[in-house]
Amino acid sequence: MITAAGVVSPLGIGLDATLDSLRTGRDAVSPVTGFDVSATRSSTAGQVGKMGQLSREEAGEDPRRLHPAGRMMIAAALELHKADPGFQPEAAVTGTTSGGMAYGEAFFRTWLQRGASPRRGTWLANYSPQKPVLDAQRAAGWRASAQIIANACASGSNAIGHAMNLIRSGQRDRVLCGGYDTISELVFVGFDSLQAATAEKIRPFDRDRTGLVLGEGAALLALEEAESAHRRGAPVLAEVMGYGISTDNHHLTQPHPSGEGPYLAMRRALDSAGVKPDAIEYINAHGTATTFNDATEGRAIARLFPHRPPVSSTKSMMGHSLGAAGAIEAVFTMLALRHDFLPPNIHYQNADPQWDLDIVANQMRPAKITRAMSNSFGFGGTNAAIILQKS
Amino acid sequence: MRVAIAGMGWVTPLGAGLNEVWAALMEGRSGHEVELKSPDSDRIYRCLGVEETLVRPLTRTPRLRRSSAISYYTAAAGLAAIADAGLERERIAQLRFALIFAVASGGVAYTRRFYEKVARDGAGSASPLLFPETVYNAPASHLSSLLGTEGATYTLVGDATVGVEALSLGRQLLRTDEADYCLVVGGEELDWILCEAYRQWRLLDFARSGEIYARRPRGMQMSEGAASVLLAREGPTVIDRISGGVPFFRRAEIGDALAAALAPHAAADIVVSSANGTFIDAAERNVLASRASQTLFAPKSLLGEPLGSGALAQVICAAQALARQELPGTVRAGDWAVVNRQSRSLKEAKTALVPVVGLNHQVAAVGLRV
Repeated sequence: MITAAGVVSPLGIGLDATLDSLRTGRDAVSPVTGFDVSATRSSTAGQVGKMGQLSREEAGEDPRRLHPAGRMMIAAALELHKADPGFQPEAAVTGTTSGGMAYGEAFFRTWLQRGASPRRGTWLANYSPQKPVLDAQRAAGWRASAQIIANACASGSNAIGHAMNLIRSGQRDRVLCGGYDTISELVFVGFDSLQAATAEKIRPFDRDRTGLVLGEGAALLALEEAESAHRRGAPVLAEVMGYGISTDNHHLTQPHPSGEGPYLAMRRALDSAGVKPDAIEYINAHGTATTFNDATEGRAIARLFPHRPPVSSTKSMMGHSLGAAGAIEAVFTMLALRHDFLPPNIHYQNADPQWDLDIVANQMRPAKITRAMSNSFGFGGTNAAIILQKS
Repeated sequence: MRVAIAGMGWVTPLGAGLNEVWAALMEGRSGHEVELKSPDSDRIYRCLGVEETLVRPLTRTPRLRRSSAISYYTAAAGLAAIADAGLERERIAQLRFALIFAVASGGVAYTRRFYEKVARDGAGSASPLLFPETVYNAPASHLSSLLGTEGATYTLVGDATVGVEALSLGRQLLRTDEADYCLVVGGEELDWILCEAYRQWRLLDFARSGEIYARRPRGMQMSEGAASVLLAREGPTVIDRISGGVPFFRRAEIGDALAAALAPHAAADIVVSSANGTFIDAAERNVLASRASQTLFAPKSLLGEPLGSGALAQVICAAQALARQELPGTVRAGDWAVVNRQSRSLKEAKTALVPVVGLNHQVAAVGLRV
């Protein structure tokens, strides 16, 4: 059971602001100003807006030293903790792809300029991937063993799925799970060098899509065994009921054209949940708007779900937040289940004739749904799908 | 459900064969020294590196031809563990097989090279060949491709405790019947930027004393390589208990965190510690001294500090010691009586404790038995 959640994304800080943005289909992508993008094809990203000040007490140290990822994770943790102060995790599983990369860049640039910046120690201390996770734990008063999954863009969904399995197998009763990633020049330029990023709007599943836009954010979910949650009277927001994982060895950066990898992950999620395909009433797609991803995912969805459940990619609104995506999109899917609507796939103009999908085009769609799937597929052929159920 | 180590393999500065490296440890030999130079300065970092000849055949593999060293080490160690278990590599794709890769810094050489080009010459010079190899899970992806697996593949990132977390995840996958075998590999590669970072943290041993448990920590010697264990339901060494990464927020808390991690573990016949010449040594010493007196070996005195692969290398050392009933000496140890300084035979040793203290805020422990 999900007993609480916290989220920070370009769509807003906190669940309420996020819900508003999802309903209105807000385009939260904006020009990048943190580094030089004059030589890149893409110049925009989904960036988290200005966050409130953290006190030293909340941060556990001078908050000015924290990496932006640490600040986002603390904000998500404090929102979760406030909603369910009785939740004490026995383990924490989070996903990320780049950790505190921006600080690594700063450290290296300073070396290049042969400067002796007094901040070097701060950058090093806050560069490691586990630091934002520890920041979040300290802020919320937790002290749980931390596993950090770095399965590229599937990391967040892997973290949630692994947390579900820890509870289902009886090894844990309460697991904190989620993911985070922040915009960094290295990663931004990297995707651009692969010609995976677009110079225009991100248009998932559109016939004329031209690539992805990067995003950032953090999301944390409190997962608890049902009986344990019930005993302490914990709130229940939704249930994680299925998880599937697969590996596609076709290429380091491109999926096999058949869509077999995504298909396997989705099918295994259904098996894990003990439901048939027609039980899924909405799919929050990975939908990065690259030629390859959307083609393979579209094919796989059409093949596995002939009953045509509605599909949308919320990356259309906030970009692709990499290791955070699976966790943030799980929160979006949970909000959709709880508030009876389907988030839109904005910037959608023309259907791709390769498949017959029911895309939730441009505006949210009211819908009372019980069960939804969220997909995440990444570099290295990592594929993950989770299934959430309304409580 | 019982989970055991069915096969082991490693690639280290002391060589690559399971028995070859063990023999070197028993003789007290140190690893192959390499010098990394900081460009544009006269600073030299003396580290322990893997000899390129050990992985040269893999560099000709089509899938790996553009890879960084960490992918070669990871593949070599993983394939060696599979061979040690008596499994045919060609059959792996037909088995219910999971792969978990543990790493701390990742493909740091290519990451540094990629960003250096960008920082010096602008985004237009970014290499699309280097970028994919910078992702943490590139080595796991390559190894999975070599094996033809399509089941669960995970990459975990962390400090030295990440190898223990990987073992924990692997054990879970077997216990929940998601796999019949789980290959757990830890890997790391050297780069001067990594050494520079640890120099800034004042954790490097520039005097190359290699001394462990010194009253005044002298620092660590960076190293690289990979270590791998194949988990199955049957094998000569059983994973008795795992205490996952317990966090500490300040160094003053390490002792309490390590004590908490070790509390569920009974006293063992041998201890294979993670002491590496830094503040970790005192933390381990204080906690282990309060337990029953045990025979201890600190492999990083000879293997150096290989970060993400370190915990699994410790586990292999423990398993080898129990299998062979012999323990290498920690030749350059400070004045701590419990440390085994000379290689020696063991008498009916059946259990081993592997404590792991990470440089970045976590501690963990593994208990093994035969």
